[in-house]
Amino acid sequence: MGAGVCFVTCSVLRASFLKYFFLNLYVILSLFADLTRQVVLRYRGVDSLEYGHTYYYTDCLLTVALFVAVISLASRVFAELHLARYVRLVAVLLLLGTAGFSYAVVAQSTDRLATMFAVELSQNLYFVGLVLTYLLWGAVLKLQETRTRLVQMVLSLGLYFSAYAGSYALVNLAPKYEVVQYLAPILGCFLPISWAVSVMRHSEDARLTPARLVAVPR
Amino acid sequence: MSRKLGALALALGILVGAMELKTLVTAHGKTAVIMANGVSPVPKLPLPPAN
Repeated sequence: MGAGVCFVTCSVLRASFLKYFFLNLYVILSLFADLTRQVVLRYRGVDSLEYGHTYYYTDCLLTVALFVAVISLASRVFAELHLARYVRLVAVLLLLGTAGFSYAVVAQSTDRLATMFAVELSQNLYFVGLVLTYLLWGAVLKLQETRTRLVQMVLSLGLYFSAYAGSYALVNLAPKYEVVQYLAPILGCFLPISWAVSVMRHSEDARLTPARLVAVPR
Repeated sequence: MSRKLGALALALGILVGAMELKTLVTAHGKTAVIMANGVSPVPKLPLPPAN
């Protein structure tokens, strides 16, 4: 939670709150979601239906917010090619497609359809975000993007998504080791911290130096 | 028009790739869900009761 507050504070101090609005929005929503979950957890307990509903609905909301944050970074990367409009079109199509696919998967379970839909949408959108981030990594490399902040934020997202998938695999491979159960909460802090470091260390105008060309003697 | 079709094809490609990846990652998983947000404990999945 402290990491999220740190990122939002750094964004406001460096006048980057509106430039990276959707990233800030995701972090603020995750703070509120954590607070809400803690309140429900305290009064109802981890096994209660209320906590389950609160957890999965807020998770779905956060995954949609994270997806929008990835799209906002993609829009910035492709803005110079005047492709931002098509990025938004792809985003809408992806969101609708994922929602339709998720509904098709859970349509048969008439009991708790809404909750199952939230869980399914959250998971599917998480993997869509993962693939999108890898594509964005590829685009950053291919377009030789030099905006330091943007590159670092995209790299952080890719690392975050990959680490989560890795931690999930570890939980399944080695469930007897308690340490793997703490990986996910630790990773939860990684994204806002890395974004905060990026915002604090580099200005919006900072550029990466491209690798020098090697002259091949003939 | 071709760019719009390209956007549609890209969206479909990403969706198919993501679902393939999900199947690959979660196929042998004992835990049912992968949750990416927050530090709160993950509750039990609200599965519908078996008939």
